[in-house]
Amino acid sequence: MATSDEIMEALQDFTDQCNNNKRLRRMQRDWTKVLHYVAVDTKDTFLMDVVEGEIIKTSAGTEGTPDIIVEADSETMCDMFWGDINPTQKYLKGEIKVKGTQEDVMRIDAITAVIWPDV
Amino acid sequence: MGKKMSKDELEALKQQTLSDFAKYVNPQKTRVLKNAGLSIIEGKREGASVWDITGEKYIDCITSAGSFNVGRRNPEVVDVLRKALDEYDLGVFLLCSKPKADLAKKLSEITPGDLQYTMYGSGGGEANDFAIKLARGFTLKTEIVSTVKAYHGHTGFSLAAIGRDEYKKPFFPMVPGFSQVEYNDIKAMEEAITEDTAAVMIEPVQGEGGIYPATDEYMKGLRKLCDDTETLLIFDEIQTGFGRTGKMFCCEHSGVVPDIMTVAKSMGGALYPISATIYKEELNDFVMTHAFTHLSTFGGSDLGCIVGLAVIDFLIKNKIPEHAAKMGDRFQKGFDELLKKYPELFIEVRRKGLMMGLQYTNDSIGPRMSYQLAQNGVMAIYTGNEPSVMRLMPTLTIQPDEVDFVVEALDKSMAEIMKQGGIEEY
Repeated sequence: MATSDEIMEALQDFTDQCNNNKRLRRMQRDWTKVLHYVAVDTKDTFLMDVVEGEIIKTSAGTEGTPDIIVEADSETMCDMFWGDINPTQKYLKGEIKVKGTQEDVMRIDAITAVIWPDV
Repeated sequence: MGKKMSKDELEALKQQTLSDFAKYVNPQKTRVLKNAGLSIIEGKREGASVWDITGEKYIDCITSAGSFNVGRRNPEVVDVLRKALDEYDLGVFLLCSKPKADLAKKLSEITPGDLQYTMYGSGGGEANDFAIKLARGFTLKTEIVSTVKAYHGHTGFSLAAIGRDEYKKPFFPMVPGFSQVEYNDIKAMEEAITEDTAAVMIEPVQGEGGIYPATDEYMKGLRKLCDDTETLLIFDEIQTGFGRTGKMFCCEHSGVVPDIMTVAKSMGGALYPISATIYKEELNDFVMTHAFTHLSTFGGSDLGCIVGLAVIDFLIKNKIPEHAAKMGDRFQKGFDELLKKYPELFIEVRRKGLMMGLQYTNDSIGPRMSYQLAQNGVMAIYTGNEPSVMRLMPTLTIQPDEVDFVVEALDKSMAEIMKQGGIEEY
């Protein structure tokens, strides 16, 4: 099991990678979403607030009404933010659950593809 | 594919093809298809099946949303095209031609009611574009009312008629004058029609919208509404046409004749792209005064028309629409068992002939079932405007044992999804 601190560390690294990637910022400038992440084994929750492609806030705990909810066990969640797994493959196998539109699921996959093209 | 290659060579060719496709065509599509187990490079194609170049066989239930009604590489149609290539090419689009005239005459004969004239295109979006242009040009009115979750194509006017913003938003502003109302809701349509409405446009079965057949009541209600308000009625039979729903055209089930009908996809036998906008004699008054205003370089090519005639001949001679109805009923028996076996996952079937939609409990199930079915030898995807619905549209030539194979694959796939969980509604 991954702790809340471990997941937050991975999430913060992911946030930095996204926000510092000029190409990704340009691609995502039409995307504004609130994402909630739920570690189903530890019940820890996390927030990611994206405005016009910039992740403006991440935190442990959630607030607001989410556009997208991502659920996975804590290890998988950590691996996802570190780029150690292909989240779409896990989604298709039911190991990551996403409540959101298919366009948003594909958008999340595109983000992963830009940051970690070999995953 | 040329000389016989070893399995390793074929695998290498496949990987190179995927790499080139990613590098020069669409990297994200390549990635998504790989993730979904659908990075199939089509090799041999026959009947209801296709083989990956490395040898895996799949029953094709994608069929480009109903483009392969006569089967994959139908030998009769292939033969006609081969012979035609000895003599014909596209033909100069501006000129009259025998193949153009012959196919238009045949379309007039086989379409219901008094649809007479044909304007050719090369794809469905183009056919719908002309339908809308004709409606506006003839009526001198501007508004077009289509339906929520409608799908009419990705070109100009057709895109504006699509009933889902995700396809349109990145390209706003759309052509003005388009609105959408709820499907199968005659009251909503009545409220939407104004003095400036040129046409109402619907699919007799919403395809991308999740396989929703129009009720007979709705179809008849639309006809009456359009007659009462002097609004034209357009039926988009691009997916439903040429036997897909158990009759040559879906509107035959309700007996309602539109003013304009669009067809495409299977008319080309999936060998040669061609589409058609077929309309009543009265509307030709607009084309009379604008005979060269709508043009299409590849529309109604001589080769396409020859193929179209062969396709129609095959469908009629072999009673393919009737066969589709029978195979659809066979599928239904299998679906009924699956509905009983997996009630927490699989909640409804909507079907007309071999245009079939399996309704699952949430949006993630469609993609997950696509993945599982690919593992079990079936190619199928969810509907673009409704991901909780898996669309099954096999070739109309599918045989009983192949139907049973698909049903068995669905059973195995659903069992796996049940094991995984994440099936609750949200």
